[in-house]
Amino acid sequence: MSKLIMFHARECPHCKAMIPLVDRLEKEEKIKFERLEVWHDEKNADLMRSYRPDIAPKCGGQLRTPTFFNPESKDAVCGEIPYEKLKDWALKQP
Amino acid sequence: MKKFWRCFVCNDIHYGVKPPEVCPTCLVKNAYVEISSAEAEKISRITRTTMTRDEFRRAIDKFVEKNEFQVCPDQAKVEMLLDGLIANEQNQGLKYCPCRLATRDFVEDLKLVCPCNFVSHETYKGREDGECWCGLFVRRKK
Repeated sequence: MSKLIMFHARECPHCKAMIPLVDRLEKEEKIKFERLEVWHDEKNADLMRSYRPDIAPKCGGQLRTPTFFNPESKDAVCGEIPYEKLKDWALKQP
Repeated sequence: MKKFWRCFVCNDIHYGVKPPEVCPTCLVKNAYVEISSAEAEKISRITRTTMTRDEFRRAIDKFVEKNEFQVCPDQAKVEMLLDGLIANEQNQGLKYCPCRLATRDFVEDLKLVCPCNFVSHETYKGREDGECWCGLFVRRKK
């Protein structure tokens, strides 16, 4: 499976809520997300901005956090979502 | 295109496509004249240049008083969001939403300044459990 990224923000409650689900998914499915904080790390922020044409159309036209992104397939899902939805998204990634 | 306007009587500043017919401060009619953003910025220095976290909290409490939404009752969540808003103002210049990343397009990013126009967003509009994207503002329970 290709590399998966979780773009998150330190003071984002949705991100905080998703962390246990990401932990669980990583443990149960042997998937690894690269977790990149974007409001306090300019390098990570610039990386997320560089993917704006791919992410924004799938996230209400904006760069929302959390965003789960596959740089290879350019697929993204964002927001506070149920575990099953995150799992389905992650497992369908090439 | 929005412009700055100044009341020639009391120096109220208005930013908009057109000026108010009546100045809301001194109540004089047809009192506004168009000015530059530089002039508006200089006049704005009369008032405080920064807001503390507590002052901003009081401002949003006042903001919601007569609206159909309220500040989220989850205090821990509110504190986290205020942390983010204040940090973003210190680091980025404006109180950008902690749950959306600024694009570096200044005009586009004005949409992210808290409070944003969340009543038009899909997370709020038409939803009984509507809230702004970050959850700082939530629809009042009926």
